[in-house]
Amino acid sequence: MLSESARVTTAAEARFRINEPNSKPRHVKVIALDRASEAVVKHLAQLRWNNASFFIASAFAGEPPGHGFSMPGWLSDLAGRTKNLIDEVSSADLVVMVATAGGNAQAAALIGEACSLKRVDTTGLILGGASATDAMLSKTLSQLRPWSLMLVIASGEDYIEDMLIALRA
Amino acid sequence: MLRKEQNDLLTQTGPGTDCGKLFRSYWLPALLAEELPENDCPPVRVKLLSERLLAFRDSDGRLGLIDEFCAHRGVSLWFGRNEEKGLRCPYHGWKYDVTGQCIDVPSEPEESGYCRKIKLKSYPLIERGGVLWTYMGPSDRQPPLPEWEFATVPDRQRFVSKRIQECNWLQAMEGGIDSSHVSFLHRGDINSDPLFKGAKGNQYNLADARPVFEVVESAGGLYIGARRNAENDQYYWRITQYVLPSFTMIAPRGNHSVHGHFWIPIDDENCWTWSFDYHPIRNLTDAETAAMRDGKGVHVKCAPGTFRPVANKDNDYLIDRAAQKAGRSYSGVEGFGMQDTSIQESMGPIVDRTKENLVSTDNGIIMARHRLLRSIKALMEKGAIPPGVDTAHQQVRSAAVVLPRDQAFKDAAREALMARPGMAPASV
Repeated sequence: MLSESARVTTAAEARFRINEPNSKPRHVKVIALDRASEAVVKHLAQLRWNNASFFIASAFAGEPPGHGFSMPGWLSDLAGRTKNLIDEVSSADLVVMVATAGGNAQAAALIGEACSLKRVDTTGLILGGASATDAMLSKTLSQLRPWSLMLVIASGEDYIEDMLIALRA
Repeated sequence: MLRKEQNDLLTQTGPGTDCGKLFRSYWLPALLAEELPENDCPPVRVKLLSERLLAFRDSDGRLGLIDEFCAHRGVSLWFGRNEEKGLRCPYHGWKYDVTGQCIDVPSEPEESGYCRKIKLKSYPLIERGGVLWTYMGPSDRQPPLPEWEFATVPDRQRFVSKRIQECNWLQAMEGGIDSSHVSFLHRGDINSDPLFKGAKGNQYNLADARPVFEVVESAGGLYIGARRNAENDQYYWRITQYVLPSFTMIAPRGNHSVHGHFWIPIDDENCWTWSFDYHPIRNLTDAETAAMRDGKGVHVKCAPGTFRPVANKDNDYLIDRAAQKAGRSYSGVEGFGMQDTSIQESMGPIVDRTKENLVSTDNGIIMARHRLLRSIKALMEKGAIPPGVDTAHQQVRSAAVVLPRDQAFKDAAREALMARPGMAPASV
């Protein structure tokens, strides 16, 4: 007599798996941290997504904190509308921070702290890792690493699209 | 998740398929050298990439991997007589050499030259590092011979085993780069398995059950780094190597040997799991080799005379529910290899990835799929040589290191991640 494991792992048995949705939509917020990654995120936003929304925090990178820096104004959507970080994080299941190797990813600390407060997972994604110098990569890494539960260094921009699809964004 | 067409693309490896063509870009492990131990020994059936083949070693020691079936009436040449520089079909005496060329058709006059018009499909078969490797792609694209470090060290420094896994190659391979499962499925075995126990790194593993992962593209595939807190404001890193299409190497522990796997499609619903252990600078001890033969570490104990694990789906993997309940075993299945196999085979012959719900810590798997898909596209559209074919991509090592918190492991451990003949592995 066939064992339970042998009987149920055939291709024929696979046909009887329940064909109903097994998850609810998850909200993924993708934030460009610097000017170079802004273009990548804008391109991504033009594609069709289930529950992904896209933001820009590159204004932060250009501002020296503490010198007339406006906290409410540094995060915006792609249309340039100011967004409240806490509100956005509160409605997210995952926040993806996109940076370029050598770019200024200072905003990661603010975003990461908000995510930590709201218990939201974070993924840091560094583009151009293959062509960057060690020093450039280290600079961006040191800014993202403390705030990323998963950090990816990708050579191509096309990885983000594949990653977001894989995560059902 | 993957779309259905992507899942089909990556899981179908038979003749004419795109992923099959990717696999046919590489030298693939086909048999253990010990399976053809001497000249004129019995031939061995081999199924690879959905093709039925027969391997034999002729009277002169030449290795052959040819179509299993006689061109005359389709008899399996496994019944053949391996003698006098060829394999003779026992049905009507047709005889083939190691290239598949028919060299005798007894019923036809020799001067007719009939036999020269008969040739079975064949692939080159070479021996390296205790393994017989084959290349199943076009002859004009045959790559240089494999240079994986385990295959280049002296025999006493290496142990290689293989076993049948009854599921598609991709779900088996993905287990090898799914670093986050170790804290669950294999919990409790790190400090008891003779091939892992005693390492200082084990303490970091057990003290910090929530590793943080970093995935970095490499020339041949990926590095997957799992970091845990260490003393003095440092991180303990375990860095896994993945090289396309299906080579993985797990970080070593202490002075134990380094180990890893290949997953090679038999057909779309079965694969060979190859497991190797080696030490770059010392012989394996008798105790280590005995433990490997006994199915410890990454190896599995197979039924005598076969490559099928003793614990398998027919006996429910000998799951011990009492041990599971008592906390002696997290999964109830004994041994790292069978713990992995049992859950991977439970997914079915080919898992439906349209239904899965990946999370952020699955980025190693996502990146591996991404690189496979990208490589297949480049191969099919531009004829690009895929990553992992270049022998420089094969000269890699996994590593376990303690590094300052601000350092990128890819840079700080650059040398440790390369095969360096005569140099000890980076291990904690």
